[in-house]
Amino acid sequence: MSRVLCAVAFLVLATAPPAHAIDQSKGHPGYCRDGTGVTVVVDFQQLGGTTIVRCNPQTTRGTGLDALKGAGFQIAGVQRWGEAFICRVENRPSATEELPVKGRDRYREMCVDTPPAAAYWSYWHAGNNCGWEYSQWGVKNRDFSAGGFEGWSFSLNAGADTNPQPRIAPVRPGTEGGGCNAKEEPPPVSNDLNEKQPVQGRQPGEQQRQQTEDTSAPQPGSPTSAALPPPKPRPSASARPSAPNPADNVKFTGGEDAEDVTVAIQRQSGASDYAPWVAGAGVLALGAGAFFVGRRRKRAQES
Amino acid sequence: MARYFLPRDLHPAAWWVWALGLSVAATRTTNPWLLLMIVAVAGYVVVARRTDAPWAMAFRMYLYLGAVIVCVRVFFRLVFGGAEGSTIILRLPEIPLPAWAAGIRLLGDVSAESLLGGLYDGLRLATMVICLGAANALANPKRLLKAMPPALYEVGTAVIVALSVFPQLAESVLRVRRARKLRGGASGKRVAALHAIIIPVLEDALSRSLQLAASMDSRGYGRAGLVEARARLLTGALMIVGLIGVCVGVYATLDGSTPRFLAAPVLSSGVLVALAGFRLAGRRVRRTRYRPDRWHLPELVVAASGIGVAAVMFVTSTVNPMNLNPSLITLSWPALSWSPLLGVLLGVIPAVLTPLPASPHVPAEKVAA
Repeated sequence: MSRVLCAVAFLVLATAPPAHAIDQSKGHPGYCRDGTGVTVVVDFQQLGGTTIVRCNPQTTRGTGLDALKGAGFQIAGVQRWGEAFICRVENRPSATEELPVKGRDRYREMCVDTPPAAAYWSYWHAGNNCGWEYSQWGVKNRDFSAGGFEGWSFSLNAGADTNPQPRIAPVRPGTEGGGCNAKEEPPPVSNDLNEKQPVQGRQPGEQQRQQTEDTSAPQPGSPTSAALPPPKPRPSASARPSAPNPADNVKFTGGEDAEDVTVAIQRQSGASDYAPWVAGAGVLALGAGAFFVGRRRKRAQES
Repeated sequence: MARYFLPRDLHPAAWWVWALGLSVAATRTTNPWLLLMIVAVAGYVVVARRTDAPWAMAFRMYLYLGAVIVCVRVFFRLVFGGAEGSTIILRLPEIPLPAWAAGIRLLGDVSAESLLGGLYDGLRLATMVICLGAANALANPKRLLKAMPPALYEVGTAVIVALSVFPQLAESVLRVRRARKLRGGASGKRVAALHAIIIPVLEDALSRSLQLAASMDSRGYGRAGLVEARARLLTGALMIVGLIGVCVGVYATLDGSTPRFLAAPVLSSGVLVALAGFRLAGRRVRRTRYRPDRWHLPELVVAASGIGVAAVMFVTSTVNPMNLNPSLITLSWPALSWSPLLGVLLGVIPAVLTPLPASPHVPAEKVAA
């Protein structure tokens, strides 16, 4: 019975389109060209690898997760929370790479439980020409700001105050020198994991997309804790960071030549193309063998 | 060599070790190839080495139960929020819920990723249940109880009475039905027929248990002996606390996402407390066994093959976690590497390298000759 179910599932699978490292059909490389979409910056920091900047030209409302996916990035959540906690971006940190996490010898990220506070993807956001701000909201709980930036920066052995900002200035080319006019986001007011950021500056008549969220949505800012701590006090508006100088940007690409994630996972796990066929044949052979052995034993007993 | 393959029943504990090894291996993976392989291996061994006893015929029930588990898991993903993932395959109308039920979603979009997640998860649980079913089919529960430590003597007596009730009930139902047919009673309404079967069967069961209780009482079963109430309380508390500790510890050891301090420390202290309880209880119970089962080479082969499967899975899961837990980021066929696959195949060894079970129809002397 379960075999039949499995076969049905695989039929569904087989018709799915092949996946690529970066889904080039979604978004486009580089910064967004105007104030409608959202630019997503992924900075691998100490993991190594060239920073990727891509644009999600989505004009409707969407969460931080929508921004990341809509820009074409391949992400993986943790088994415990699902996609509410981003564990891997572009298969980094992969399950085979050892992270030099302090106090955790030979640590490898399995994406089962919340990653340790010393090695996780920190989530940032910024308006155009504003400074990067560490998100106080979970990736599914806040909306990206149109024309703004979403930043993902791998934080390795950093404290709450020393999380590294993405090393790309949140300034769209051609708008340098303009002022920061993004509204400051209100911090969460409760410990409710499902609290949504209030909608700002939208016409009341605008159609609001139905949110389809998972029940458990921890904030990326609070790794390794089952219960969510109360929101931290945030700097006031006057203390908001100013935009870094775009001249200090690190080298970046649009991720055009990144390796296919599926291929990379297959190579890293040492999987063989023939093993699934052998497994399927083995299951069938054992099933047939059980049938014949059972019949033979029954006859032997009857005689 | 011929002596090795002489038909006989193996020690039931060996079968339990083998089946628990397979199910521990199943807990380490959600790869459908490996899980199906484990089910196929367990099924083959059961068919090749089971007896005609009523408990051995129940393996089919465990297979049905496994199928039900898989269906329920997939169905729940369908009903309660299956939108994790981007490949939407089914659009159902979402049922709006009041604000206090926030976080619960009824119906709505269903993605292939979440359905597959439910399928893999359910398949894992089903595989574990089927492995336990295999142990039940292969191991004789009466002889397993015989091999229990003396501390569990009273519990064992109760369990064996309970175990023998079900076959007796079935036999009783058959007898009453045959009697009804012979009398040629009106085969009218089904409800009335049920009525006419249930009451005699229940009456039969009641009188049988009263008879059993009287006979056991006259033979001295259930005598507490000269033990202080305080000592009994102490041993009981030690055993219960120890067993709870063992349960929590085993859970934490097998589940990678529980805090580590719940794993080895709680497991080892639970085992210690339970052993102390067993020791205390065993001191006041003196039992001898008639012809105890011994561990011979075939038993060791069976146990080693089960432990081998679990060990290979533990070793490979630290090397390549990705094909033990297929990623659902992008829909693709689950990948598989050779080492865990060959490891699971170790479990099929008992189907070949063990003696056939002793046939109940052949007298023991004839087999020995």
